[in-house]
Amino acid sequence: MTNNWMKKQRLLGYIFIGPSMLGVLLFFLIPALYSFGLMFTNYKFMNPNVEFVGLDNIIRLFKDPMFYLSLKNTAVFLLAVPVSIALGFVVAVVLNQKIYLKKLLRGLYFMPYITSGVAVAFVWMLLFHPTQGPINGMLRSIGIDNPPGWLSTTTSSMFAIDIIWVWFLLGYNMIIYLAALQEVSPELLEAAKIDGAKRGQILRKIIWPLVSPTTFLLLITGLIMTIKTFGIIQAITHGGPGNSTTILSLYVYQNAFRYYDMGYASTLSWALFIVILLITLVQWIGQKRWVHY
Amino acid sequence: MEMKARLSSDVPKRLGLTILMLVLAIAMVIPFLWMISTSFKTPAQVFEYPIKWIPSAPTWEHHVKVWTGPKSFGTYYWNSLKISIIGMAGATFLSAFAAYGFARIQFKGRNALFMLYLSMMMVPPQVLFVPKFLMFEWAGIYNTHLALILPGLFTIFGVFMLRQFFLSIPNEITESAFIDGAGHFRIFFRLILPLAKPALATLAIIDFSWQWNDYENALVFLIDEELYTVPLGLQNFILENTVDYNGMMAAASAGILPMIAVFAIGQRYIIQGLTNSAVKG
Repeated sequence: MTNNWMKKQRLLGYIFIGPSMLGVLLFFLIPALYSFGLMFTNYKFMNPNVEFVGLDNIIRLFKDPMFYLSLKNTAVFLLAVPVSIALGFVVAVVLNQKIYLKKLLRGLYFMPYITSGVAVAFVWMLLFHPTQGPINGMLRSIGIDNPPGWLSTTTSSMFAIDIIWVWFLLGYNMIIYLAALQEVSPELLEAAKIDGAKRGQILRKIIWPLVSPTTFLLLITGLIMTIKTFGIIQAITHGGPGNSTTILSLYVYQNAFRYYDMGYASTLSWALFIVILLITLVQWIGQKRWVHY
Repeated sequence: MEMKARLSSDVPKRLGLTILMLVLAIAMVIPFLWMISTSFKTPAQVFEYPIKWIPSAPTWEHHVKVWTGPKSFGTYYWNSLKISIIGMAGATFLSAFAAYGFARIQFKGRNALFMLYLSMMMVPPQVLFVPKFLMFEWAGIYNTHLALILPGLFTIFGVFMLRQFFLSIPNEITESAFIDGAGHFRIFFRLILPLAKPALATLAIIDFSWQWNDYENALVFLIDEELYTVPLGLQNFILENTVDYNGMMAAASAGILPMIAVFAIGQRYIIQGLTNSAVKG
Protein backbone atom coordinates (compact mmCIF):
# COMPACT_ATOMS: atom_id res chain seq x y z
CA MET A 1 0.00 0.00 0.00
CA THR A 2 1.80 3.08 -1.23
CA ASN A 3 1.46 6.65 -0.16
CA ASN A 4 0.34 7.44 -3.66
CA TRP A 5 -2.59 5.06 -3.37
CA MET A 6 -3.62 6.62 -0.07
CA LYS A 7 -3.53 10.03 -1.67
CA LYS A 8 -5.67 8.87 -4.55
CA GLN A 9 -8.16 7.37 -2.15
CA ARG A 10 -8.41 10.71 -0.41
CA LEU A 11 -9.09 12.51 -3.67
CA LEU A 12 -12.02 10.13 -4.17
CA GLY A 13 -13.75 12.30 -1.56
CA TYR A 14 -14.46 14.83 -4.29
CA ILE A 15 -15.96 12.16 -6.51
CA PHE A 16 -18.22 10.97 -3.72
CA ILE A 17 -19.62 14.37 -2.91
CA GLY A 18 -19.35 15.64 -6.49
CA PRO A 19 -22.80 14.73 -7.81
CA SER A 20 -24.57 15.98 -4.72
CA MET A 21 -22.44 19.13 -4.73
CA LEU A 22 -23.48 19.80 -8.31
CA GLY A 23 -27.11 19.73 -7.22
CA VAL A 24 -26.43 21.99 -4.27
CA LEU A 25 -24.72 24.49 -6.58
CA LEU A 26 -27.39 24.38 -9.29
CA PHE A 27 -30.51 24.28 -7.14
CA PHE A 28 -29.41 26.03 -3.95
CA LEU A 29 -26.29 28.19 -4.07
CA ILE A 30 -26.63 29.74 -7.54
CA PRO A 31 -30.37 30.45 -7.16
CA ALA A 32 -29.71 31.96 -3.73
CA LEU A 33 -27.07 34.32 -5.12
CA TYR A 34 -29.30 35.10 -8.10
CA SER A 35 -32.17 35.96 -5.79
CA PHE A 36 -29.90 38.16 -3.72
CA GLY A 37 -29.03 40.11 -6.86
CA LEU A 38 -32.68 40.40 -7.93
CA MET A 39 -33.42 42.16 -4.66
CA PHE A 40 -31.72 45.28 -6.04
CA THR A 41 -33.59 45.33 -9.36
CA ASN A 42 -37.09 46.18 -10.50
CA TYR A 43 -37.28 43.03 -12.63
CA LYS A 44 -40.78 42.06 -13.64
CA PHE A 45 -41.19 38.79 -15.48
CA MET A 46 -41.51 39.21 -19.28
CA ASN A 47 -40.65 42.89 -18.98
CA PRO A 48 -37.32 43.53 -20.72
CA ASN A 49 -36.65 46.80 -18.92
CA VAL A 50 -34.59 45.84 -15.93
CA GLU A 51 -32.95 48.49 -13.86
CA PHE A 52 -30.75 48.51 -10.86
CA VAL A 53 -32.81 50.26 -8.20
CA GLY A 54 -30.50 50.10 -5.22
CA LEU A 55 -32.37 49.87 -1.97
CA ASP A 56 -35.78 50.85 -3.37
CA ASN A 57 -37.27 47.40 -2.77
CA ILE A 58 -36.09 47.38 0.81
CA ILE A 59 -37.53 50.86 1.43
CA ARG A 60 -40.76 49.73 -0.20
CA LEU A 61 -40.87 46.74 2.11
CA PHE A 62 -40.64 48.88 5.20
CA LYS A 63 -43.49 51.05 3.92
CA ASP A 64 -45.67 48.16 2.80
CA PRO A 65 -48.61 47.66 5.19
CA MET A 66 -49.18 44.20 3.67
CA PHE A 67 -45.69 43.21 4.77
CA TYR A 68 -46.55 44.05 8.37
CA LEU A 69 -49.89 42.31 8.13
CA SER A 70 -48.19 39.21 6.73
CA LEU A 71 -45.72 39.28 9.62
CA LYS A 72 -48.57 39.50 12.09
CA ASN A 73 -50.39 36.61 10.41
CA THR A 74 -47.17 34.62 10.46
CA ALA A 75 -46.87 35.27 14.20
CA VAL A 76 -50.42 33.98 14.74
CA PHE A 77 -49.62 30.94 12.59
CA LEU A 78 -46.54 30.26 14.73
CA LEU A 79 -48.70 30.04 17.88
CA ALA A 80 -49.64 26.57 16.69
CA VAL A 81 -46.10 25.36 17.35
CA PRO A 82 -45.90 25.72 21.16
CA VAL A 83 -49.48 24.49 21.50
CA SER A 84 -48.77 21.33 19.53
CA ILE A 85 -45.54 20.82 21.48
CA ALA A 86 -47.43 21.01 24.78
CA LEU A 87 -50.08 18.57 23.57
CA GLY A 88 -47.46 16.30 22.07
CA PHE A 89 -45.69 16.21 25.42
CA VAL A 90 -48.86 15.29 27.31
CA VAL A 91 -49.71 12.52 24.85
CA ALA A 92 -46.15 11.18 24.98
CA VAL A 93 -46.12 11.13 28.80
CA VAL A 94 -49.39 9.20 28.90
CA LEU A 95 -48.31 6.76 26.18
CA ASN A 96 -45.12 6.20 28.14
CA GLN A 97 -47.18 4.85 31.09
CA LYS A 98 -48.33 1.30 31.43
CA ILE A 99 -51.07 1.26 28.86
CA TYR A 100 -52.56 -1.20 26.38
CA LEU A 101 -52.42 -0.88 22.58
CA LYS A 102 -49.38 1.36 22.80
CA LYS A 103 -48.25 0.83 19.21
CA LEU A 104 -51.68 1.29 17.71
CA LEU A 105 -52.21 4.51 19.67
CA ARG A 106 -48.83 5.87 18.70
CA GLY A 107 -49.60 5.14 15.06
CA LEU A 108 -52.98 6.87 15.19
CA TYR A 109 -51.57 10.05 16.73
CA PHE A 110 -48.71 10.07 14.27
CA MET A 111 -50.81 9.46 11.18
CA PRO A 112 -51.72 13.07 10.30
CA TYR A 113 -48.08 14.11 10.20
CA ILE A 114 -47.02 11.55 7.65
CA THR A 115 -50.10 11.28 5.46
CA SER A 116 -51.14 14.87 5.20
CA GLY A 117 -50.45 17.16 2.41
CA VAL A 118 -52.82 19.43 0.65
CA ALA A 119 -55.38 16.65 0.30
CA VAL A 120 -56.34 16.70 3.94
CA ALA A 121 -56.55 20.50 3.92
CA PHE A 122 -59.57 20.14 1.65
CA VAL A 123 -61.14 17.78 4.15
CA TRP A 124 -60.70 20.38 6.88
CA MET A 125 -62.19 23.00 4.59
CA LEU A 126 -65.45 21.03 4.60
CA LEU A 127 -65.25 20.12 8.27
CA PHE A 128 -64.99 23.85 9.02
CA HIS A 129 -67.91 24.77 6.75
CA PRO A 130 -69.54 27.61 8.75
CA THR A 131 -73.22 26.79 8.22
CA GLN A 132 -73.36 23.09 7.47
CA GLY A 133 -69.99 21.68 8.55
CA PRO A 134 -69.89 18.85 11.08
CA ILE A 135 -67.76 20.87 13.51
CA ASN A 136 -70.33 23.61 13.82
CA GLY A 137 -73.07 21.00 13.76
CA MET A 138 -71.54 19.48 16.85
CA LEU A 139 -71.08 22.87 18.51
CA ARG A 140 -74.74 23.74 17.89
CA SER A 141 -75.88 20.42 19.25
CA ILE A 142 -74.12 21.14 22.55
CA GLY A 143 -75.87 24.50 22.75
CA ILE A 144 -73.46 26.95 21.14
CA ASP A 145 -75.84 28.91 18.93
CA ASN A 146 -73.30 31.16 17.27
CA PRO A 147 -70.30 28.99 16.51
CA PRO A 148 -67.27 30.67 14.88
CA GLY A 149 -67.13 31.12 11.12
CA TRP A 150 -63.72 29.40 11.04
CA LEU A 151 -62.13 29.85 7.62
CA SER A 152 -64.87 32.19 6.43
CA THR A 153 -64.29 35.27 8.62
CA THR A 154 -61.24 37.51 8.81
CA THR A 155 -61.03 37.30 12.59
CA SER A 156 -61.16 33.52 12.91
CA SER A 157 -59.49 32.25 9.74
CA MET A 158 -55.90 32.29 11.02
CA PHE A 159 -56.96 30.41 14.14
CA ALA A 160 -58.74 27.79 12.08
CA ILE A 161 -55.48 27.29 10.18
CA ASP A 162 -53.73 27.02 13.57
CA ILE A 163 -56.04 24.17 14.55
CA ILE A 164 -55.16 22.29 11.38
CA TRP A 165 -51.49 22.93 12.01
CA VAL A 166 -51.60 21.80 15.66
CA TRP A 167 -53.32 18.63 14.50
CA PHE A 168 -50.67 18.11 11.84
CA LEU A 169 -47.58 18.69 14.06
CA LEU A 170 -48.80 16.96 17.20
CA GLY A 171 -47.77 13.47 16.13
CA TYR A 172 -44.27 14.53 15.23
CA ASN A 173 -43.74 16.22 18.59
CA MET A 174 -45.13 13.18 20.38
CA ILE A 175 -42.76 10.79 18.55
CA ILE A 176 -39.71 12.86 19.40
CA TYR A 177 -40.80 13.21 23.04
CA LEU A 178 -41.38 9.47 23.29
CA ALA A 179 -37.77 8.92 22.22
CA ALA A 180 -36.57 11.50 24.74
CA LEU A 181 -38.62 9.93 27.56
CA GLN A 182 -36.91 6.61 26.90
CA GLU A 183 -33.68 8.28 27.95
CA VAL A 184 -35.00 9.38 31.34
CA SER A 185 -33.45 6.98 33.81
CA PRO A 186 -36.00 4.80 35.59
CA GLU A 187 -33.73 4.70 38.68
CA LEU A 188 -34.06 8.44 39.04
CA LEU A 189 -37.86 8.25 38.92
CA GLU A 190 -37.87 5.36 41.35
CA ALA A 191 -35.65 7.33 43.75
CA ALA A 192 -37.96 10.32 43.55
CA LYS A 193 -40.96 8.11 44.29
CA ILE A 194 -39.23 6.62 47.30
CA ASP A 195 -38.47 10.13 48.52
CA GLY A 196 -42.20 10.75 48.42
CA ALA A 197 -42.46 12.95 45.35
CA LYS A 198 -45.95 13.22 43.91
CA ARG A 199 -46.74 12.41 40.30
CA GLY A 200 -47.19 16.05 39.35
CA GLN A 201 -43.97 16.99 41.09
CA ILE A 202 -42.02 14.31 39.26
CA LEU A 203 -43.44 15.53 35.98
CA ARG A 204 -42.71 19.19 36.64
CA LYS A 205 -39.47 18.99 38.57
CA ILE A 206 -37.77 16.00 36.98
CA ILE A 207 -39.17 14.96 33.63
CA TRP A 208 -39.90 18.37 32.14
CA PRO A 209 -36.38 19.75 32.89
CA LEU A 210 -34.79 16.55 31.64
CA VAL A 211 -36.53 16.77 28.27
CA SER A 212 -35.91 20.51 27.94
CA PRO A 213 -33.29 20.03 25.18
CA THR A 214 -35.95 18.18 23.19
CA THR A 215 -38.53 20.87 23.85
CA PHE A 216 -36.10 23.49 22.67
CA LEU A 217 -35.21 21.55 19.55
CA LEU A 218 -38.88 20.96 18.71
CA LEU A 219 -39.63 24.62 19.20
CA ILE A 220 -36.88 25.79 16.88
CA THR A 221 -37.41 23.21 14.14
CA GLY A 222 -41.18 23.61 14.40
CA LEU A 223 -40.98 27.39 14.06
CA ILE A 224 -38.65 27.21 11.07
CA MET A 225 -40.72 24.57 9.33
CA THR A 226 -43.93 26.50 9.93
CA ILE A 227 -42.46 29.74 8.64
CA LYS A 228 -41.57 28.07 5.35
CA THR A 229 -45.02 26.56 4.80
CA PHE A 230 -47.70 28.08 2.64
CA GLY A 231 -49.13 25.17 0.66
CA ILE A 232 -52.15 24.36 2.78
CA ILE A 233 -53.07 28.04 3.09
CA GLN A 234 -52.72 28.69 -0.62
CA ALA A 235 -54.80 25.59 -1.31
CA ILE A 236 -57.79 26.34 0.89
CA THR A 237 -57.95 30.11 1.44
CA HIS A 238 -55.53 31.68 -1.09
CA GLY A 239 -54.61 34.03 1.76
CA GLY A 240 -58.19 35.15 2.35
CA PRO A 241 -60.79 36.12 3.34
CA GLY A 242 -59.48 39.62 2.84
CA ASN A 243 -55.81 39.12 3.49
CA SER A 244 -56.42 37.51 6.83
CA THR A 245 -54.40 34.36 6.14
CA THR A 246 -51.69 35.88 3.96
CA ILE A 247 -48.58 34.88 5.86
CA LEU A 248 -45.16 36.13 4.78
CA SER A 249 -44.21 33.01 2.80
CA LEU A 250 -47.50 33.19 0.91
CA TYR A 251 -47.03 36.91 0.30
CA VAL A 252 -43.69 36.10 -1.35
CA TYR A 253 -45.43 33.57 -3.59
CA GLN A 254 -48.19 36.02 -4.52
CA ASN A 255 -45.75 38.77 -5.47
CA ALA A 256 -43.69 36.38 -7.54
CA PHE A 257 -46.31 34.35 -9.34
CA ARG A 258 -49.46 36.44 -9.21
CA TYR A 259 -47.92 39.88 -9.87
CA TYR A 260 -44.66 38.61 -11.43
CA ASP A 261 -42.85 41.28 -9.41
CA MET A 262 -39.64 39.28 -9.11
CA GLY A 263 -37.51 42.02 -7.57
CA TYR A 264 -39.89 42.74 -4.75
CA ALA A 265 -40.68 39.04 -4.22
CA SER A 266 -36.96 38.37 -3.81
CA THR A 267 -36.71 41.17 -1.25
CA LEU A 268 -39.60 39.70 0.72
CA SER A 269 -38.06 36.25 0.55
CA TRP A 270 -34.86 37.57 2.13
CA ALA A 271 -36.93 39.13 4.89
CA LEU A 272 -38.23 35.62 5.47
CA PHE A 273 -34.66 34.38 5.53
CA ILE A 274 -33.79 36.95 8.19
CA VAL A 275 -36.64 35.74 10.39
CA ILE A 276 -35.27 32.20 10.08
CA LEU A 277 -31.76 33.46 10.80
CA LEU A 278 -32.98 35.17 13.97
CA ILE A 279 -34.64 31.98 15.18
CA THR A 280 -31.43 30.07 14.47
CA LEU A 281 -29.42 32.64 16.43
CA VAL A 282 -31.79 32.24 19.35
CA GLN A 283 -31.12 28.53 19.07
CA TRP A 284 -27.35 28.98 19.25
CA ILE A 285 -27.50 31.33 22.20
CA GLY A 286 -30.38 29.68 23.98
CA GLN A 287 -29.05 26.16 23.80
CA LYS A 288 -26.48 27.11 26.40
CA ARG A 289 -28.64 29.32 28.53
CA TRP A 290 -32.15 27.94 28.72
CA VAL A 291 -31.69 24.25 28.51
CA HIS A 292 -31.51 22.66 31.93
CA TYR A 293 -30.33 19.14 32.36
CA MET B 1 -48.38 -11.67 47.11
CA GLU B 2 -47.95 -7.94 47.33
CA MET B 3 -46.73 -7.92 43.75
CA LYS B 4 -49.88 -9.68 42.57
CA ALA B 5 -52.15 -7.31 44.43
CA ARG B 6 -50.41 -4.35 42.91
CA LEU B 7 -50.68 -5.79 39.44
CA SER B 8 -54.39 -6.49 39.65
CA SER B 9 -55.12 -3.03 41.03
CA ASP B 10 -53.17 -1.64 38.07
CA VAL B 11 -55.48 -3.14 35.49
CA PRO B 12 -58.47 -0.79 35.86
CA LYS B 13 -56.18 2.23 35.78
CA ARG B 14 -54.43 0.92 32.71
CA LEU B 15 -57.71 0.18 31.03
CA GLY B 16 -59.04 3.63 31.86
CA LEU B 17 -56.00 5.38 30.44
CA THR B 18 -56.12 3.22 27.33
CA ILE B 19 -59.77 4.02 26.69
CA LEU B 20 -59.19 7.75 27.23
CA MET B 21 -56.23 7.79 24.86
CA LEU B 22 -58.09 5.69 22.31
CA VAL B 23 -61.00 8.14 22.26
CA LEU B 24 -58.60 11.05 21.72
CA ALA B 25 -56.71 9.10 19.06
CA ILE B 26 -59.92 8.45 17.19
CA ALA B 27 -60.64 12.17 17.34
CA MET B 28 -57.26 12.70 15.68
CA VAL B 29 -58.14 10.51 12.72
CA ILE B 30 -61.73 11.73 12.38
CA PRO B 31 -60.89 13.88 9.35
CA PHE B 32 -59.78 10.74 7.52
CA LEU B 33 -62.84 8.77 8.62
CA TRP B 34 -65.17 11.59 7.65
CA MET B 35 -63.48 11.88 4.27
CA ILE B 36 -63.90 8.18 3.49
CA SER B 37 -67.44 8.06 4.80
CA THR B 38 -68.48 11.15 2.82
CA SER B 39 -66.98 9.84 -0.38
CA PHE B 40 -69.54 7.00 -0.29
CA LYS B 41 -72.57 9.18 0.50
CA THR B 42 -75.09 11.00 -1.63
CA PRO B 43 -75.00 14.83 -1.79
CA ALA B 44 -78.02 15.06 0.51
CA GLN B 45 -76.25 13.04 3.20
CA VAL B 46 -73.00 15.06 3.30
CA PHE B 47 -73.87 17.44 6.10
CA GLU B 48 -76.44 15.33 7.91
CA TYR B 49 -76.16 15.78 11.62
CA PRO B 50 -75.68 13.67 13.70
CA ILE B 51 -73.11 12.13 11.42
CA LYS B 52 -73.90 8.70 10.04
CA TRP B 53 -70.46 7.15 9.75
CA ILE B 54 -71.63 4.25 7.65
CA PRO B 55 -73.95 5.60 4.96
CA SER B 56 -77.26 3.77 4.58
CA ALA B 57 -76.83 3.20 0.84
CA PRO B 58 -73.13 3.52 0.01
CA THR B 59 -72.38 4.51 -3.56
CA TRP B 60 -69.23 4.15 -5.64
CA GLU B 61 -70.42 6.82 -8.04
CA HIS B 62 -68.03 9.55 -6.81
CA HIS B 63 -64.98 7.34 -6.90
CA VAL B 64 -65.93 6.29 -10.41
CA LYS B 65 -66.22 9.95 -11.40
CA VAL B 66 -62.79 10.75 -9.99
CA TRP B 67 -61.12 7.88 -11.79
CA THR B 68 -62.96 7.87 -15.08
CA GLY B 69 -64.08 11.46 -15.53
CA PRO B 70 -62.76 13.70 -18.32
CA LYS B 71 -59.80 14.55 -16.06
CA SER B 72 -59.01 11.20 -14.62
CA PHE B 73 -56.83 10.84 -11.57
CA GLY B 74 -55.00 8.10 -13.48
CA THR B 75 -52.89 10.71 -15.26
CA TYR B 76 -52.13 12.59 -12.04
CA TYR B 77 -51.21 9.32 -10.34
CA TRP B 78 -48.87 8.34 -13.11
CA ASN B 79 -47.19 11.78 -13.04
CA SER B 80 -46.83 11.73 -9.27
CA LEU B 81 -45.51 8.18 -9.21
CA LYS B 82 -42.98 8.92 -11.94
CA ILE B 83 -41.69 12.07 -10.23
CA SER B 84 -41.70 10.65 -6.70
CA ILE B 85 -40.09 7.34 -7.53
CA ILE B 86 -37.30 8.74 -9.71
CA GLY B 87 -36.70 11.50 -7.18
CA MET B 88 -36.72 9.12 -4.24
CA ALA B 89 -34.33 6.64 -5.84
CA GLY B 90 -31.95 9.32 -7.05
CA ALA B 91 -32.03 11.32 -3.84
CA THR B 92 -31.40 8.26 -1.69
CA PHE B 93 -28.46 7.07 -3.74
CA LEU B 94 -26.84 10.48 -4.24
CA SER B 95 -27.27 11.31 -0.56
CA ALA B 96 -25.63 8.04 0.45
CA PHE B 97 -22.76 8.72 -1.92
CA ALA B 98 -22.17 12.23 -0.61
CA ALA B 99 -22.73 11.21 3.01
CA TYR B 100 -20.01 8.59 2.68
CA GLY B 101 -17.62 11.22 1.38
CA PHE B 102 -18.40 13.53 4.25
CA ALA B 103 -18.36 10.85 6.92
CA ARG B 104 -15.50 8.55 6.01
CA ILE B 105 -12.99 10.31 3.75
CA GLN B 106 -10.50 12.95 4.89
CA PHE B 107 -10.05 15.42 2.06
CA LYS B 108 -9.13 19.04 1.79
CA GLY B 109 -11.97 21.51 2.19
CA ARG B 110 -14.36 18.90 3.55
CA ASN B 111 -15.45 20.93 6.54
CA ALA B 112 -15.90 24.10 4.51
CA LEU B 113 -18.10 22.25 2.03
CA PHE B 114 -20.08 20.75 4.85
CA MET B 115 -20.64 24.22 6.27
CA LEU B 116 -21.98 25.23 2.87
CA TYR B 117 -24.52 22.39 3.10
CA LEU B 118 -25.46 23.52 6.59
CA SER B 119 -25.99 27.10 5.51
CA MET B 120 -28.09 26.07 2.49
CA MET B 121 -30.45 24.30 4.85
CA MET B 122 -31.38 27.66 6.31
CA VAL B 123 -32.35 29.18 2.97
CA PRO B 124 -36.15 28.95 2.70
CA PRO B 125 -37.63 27.56 -0.51
CA GLN B 126 -39.32 30.92 -1.06
CA VAL B 127 -35.91 32.49 -1.75
CA LEU B 128 -35.26 29.86 -4.40
CA PHE B 129 -38.59 29.80 -6.24
CA VAL B 130 -38.08 32.97 -8.27
CA PRO B 131 -34.51 32.31 -9.48
CA LYS B 132 -35.32 28.64 -10.14
CA PHE B 133 -38.36 29.68 -12.13
CA LEU B 134 -36.22 32.04 -14.22
CA MET B 135 -33.43 29.50 -14.62
CA PHE B 136 -35.83 26.71 -15.63
CA GLU B 137 -37.57 29.03 -18.06
CA TRP B 138 -34.17 29.82 -19.59
CA ALA B 139 -33.12 26.17 -19.71
CA GLY B 140 -36.41 25.14 -21.30
CA ILE B 141 -37.48 22.80 -18.52
CA TYR B 142 -40.15 25.06 -16.99
CA ASN B 143 -43.53 23.38 -17.29
CA THR B 144 -41.96 19.94 -17.73
CA HIS B 145 -41.55 17.16 -15.20
CA LEU B 146 -37.81 17.73 -15.25
CA ALA B 147 -38.41 20.93 -13.29
CA LEU B 148 -39.53 18.72 -10.39
CA ILE B 149 -37.42 15.63 -11.00
CA LEU B 150 -33.99 17.28 -11.28
CA PRO B 151 -34.11 19.30 -8.03
CA GLY B 152 -35.84 16.33 -6.41
CA LEU B 153 -32.67 14.26 -6.88
CA PHE B 154 -30.93 16.30 -4.21
CA THR B 155 -31.83 16.45 -0.57
CA ILE B 156 -29.60 18.13 1.97
CA PHE B 157 -31.58 16.54 4.80
CA GLY B 158 -30.76 13.13 3.32
CA VAL B 159 -27.02 13.83 3.27
CA PHE B 160 -27.20 14.89 6.92
CA MET B 161 -29.22 11.94 8.00
CA LEU B 162 -27.03 9.34 6.30
CA ARG B 163 -23.80 11.06 7.31
CA GLN B 164 -24.98 10.75 10.89
CA PHE B 165 -25.61 7.06 10.35
CA PHE B 166 -22.28 6.40 8.59
CA LEU B 167 -20.42 8.13 11.41
CA SER B 168 -22.00 5.68 13.84
CA ILE B 169 -20.55 2.66 12.01
CA PRO B 170 -17.39 1.67 13.92
CA ASN B 171 -14.13 2.45 12.13
CA GLU B 172 -12.73 -1.03 12.72
CA ILE B 173 -15.16 -2.48 10.22
CA THR B 174 -13.80 -0.46 7.33
CA GLU B 175 -10.21 -0.14 8.52
CA SER B 176 -9.40 -3.81 8.10
CA ALA B 177 -10.85 -3.78 4.59
CA PHE B 178 -8.77 -0.71 3.85
CA ILE B 179 -5.61 -2.43 5.04
CA ASP B 180 -6.45 -5.36 2.79
CA GLY B 181 -6.32 -2.94 -0.09
CA ALA B 182 -9.99 -2.30 -0.70
CA GLY B 183 -10.64 1.21 -2.00
CA HIS B 184 -13.41 3.53 -0.95
CA PHE B 185 -15.67 2.44 -3.79
CA ARG B 186 -15.48 -1.17 -2.73
CA ILE B 187 -15.97 -0.35 0.91
CA PHE B 188 -18.96 1.84 0.07
CA PHE B 189 -20.74 -0.67 -2.14
CA ARG B 190 -19.76 -3.91 -0.37
CA LEU B 191 -19.65 -2.92 3.29
CA ILE B 192 -21.39 0.34 4.01
CA LEU B 193 -24.45 0.17 1.78
CA PRO B 194 -25.54 -3.29 3.04
CA LEU B 195 -25.08 -2.13 6.64
CA ALA B 196 -27.05 1.03 5.93
CA LYS B 197 -30.13 -0.70 4.51
CA PRO B 198 -32.48 0.39 7.32
CA ALA B 199 -31.24 3.97 7.15
CA LEU B 200 -31.61 3.97 3.36
CA ALA B 201 -35.14 2.60 3.65
CA THR B 202 -35.97 5.33 6.15
CA LEU B 203 -34.70 8.09 3.91
CA ALA B 204 -36.42 6.59 0.88
CA ILE B 205 -39.79 6.46 2.63
CA ILE B 206 -39.55 9.96 4.08
CA ASP B 207 -38.38 11.37 0.77
CA PHE B 208 -41.15 9.61 -1.13
CA SER B 209 -43.80 11.05 1.16
CA TRP B 210 -42.35 14.55 0.73
CA GLN B 211 -42.27 14.23 -3.03
CA TRP B 212 -45.75 12.74 -3.20
CA ASN B 213 -47.17 15.54 -1.03
CA ASP B 214 -45.19 18.30 -2.71
CA TYR B 215 -47.73 20.86 -3.79
CA GLU B 216 -45.67 24.04 -3.68
CA ASN B 217 -43.05 23.16 -6.31
CA ALA B 218 -45.65 21.68 -8.64
CA LEU B 219 -47.71 24.85 -8.24
CA VAL B 220 -44.78 27.03 -9.23
CA PHE B 221 -43.25 24.96 -12.02
CA LEU B 222 -46.17 23.29 -13.85
CA ILE B 223 -48.97 24.84 -15.90
CA ASP B 224 -50.28 22.17 -18.26
CA GLU B 225 -53.01 20.07 -16.79
CA GLU B 226 -51.75 16.83 -18.28
CA LEU B 227 -48.52 17.34 -16.33
CA TYR B 228 -50.26 17.85 -12.98
CA THR B 229 -49.31 15.77 -9.98
CA VAL B 230 -51.92 14.47 -7.53
CA PRO B 231 -51.98 17.54 -5.21
CA LEU B 232 -52.42 19.90 -8.17
CA GLY B 233 -54.95 17.62 -9.83
CA LEU B 234 -56.86 17.52 -6.59
CA GLN B 235 -56.92 21.30 -6.38
CA ASN B 236 -58.05 21.47 -9.97
CA PHE B 237 -60.85 19.01 -9.30
CA ILE B 238 -61.99 21.06 -6.33
CA LEU B 239 -61.93 24.34 -8.23
CA GLU B 240 -64.04 22.79 -10.98
CA ASN B 241 -66.49 20.97 -8.72
CA THR B 242 -67.03 23.54 -5.99
CA VAL B 243 -70.26 22.05 -4.73
CA ASP B 244 -69.61 18.38 -5.34
CA TYR B 245 -68.51 17.63 -1.80
CA ASN B 246 -68.74 13.86 -2.24
CA GLY B 247 -66.55 14.05 -5.33
CA MET B 248 -64.07 16.22 -3.45
CA MET B 249 -63.79 13.67 -0.69
CA ALA B 250 -63.44 10.81 -3.16
CA ALA B 251 -60.65 12.80 -4.82
CA ALA B 252 -59.02 13.55 -1.47
CA SER B 253 -59.18 9.84 -0.61
CA ALA B 254 -57.42 9.08 -3.86
CA GLY B 255 -54.69 11.54 -2.89
CA ILE B 256 -54.24 10.29 0.67
CA LEU B 257 -54.64 6.54 0.22
CA PRO B 258 -51.10 5.87 -1.07
CA MET B 259 -49.71 7.80 1.89
CA ILE B 260 -51.76 5.71 4.29
CA ALA B 261 -50.36 2.59 2.64
CA VAL B 262 -46.79 3.91 2.85
CA PHE B 263 -47.42 4.83 6.47
CA ALA B 264 -48.79 1.41 7.36
CA ILE B 265 -45.84 -0.36 5.77
CA GLY B 266 -43.06 2.00 6.72
CA GLN B 267 -44.14 3.49 10.04
CA ARG B 268 -41.29 1.85 11.93
CA TYR B 269 -38.66 3.24 9.56
CA ILE B 270 -40.16 6.69 9.50
CA ILE B 271 -40.28 6.95 13.28
CA GLN B 272 -36.72 5.67 13.57
CA GLY B 273 -35.41 8.08 10.99
CA LEU B 274 -37.16 11.12 12.39
CA THR B 275 -36.13 10.43 15.97
CA ASN B 276 -32.52 9.68 15.06
CA SER B 277 -32.10 12.83 13.04
CA ALA B 278 -33.81 14.94 15.71
CA VAL B 279 -32.31 13.54 18.88
CA LYS B 280 -28.78 13.10 17.60
CA GLY B 281 -28.73 15.81 14.98
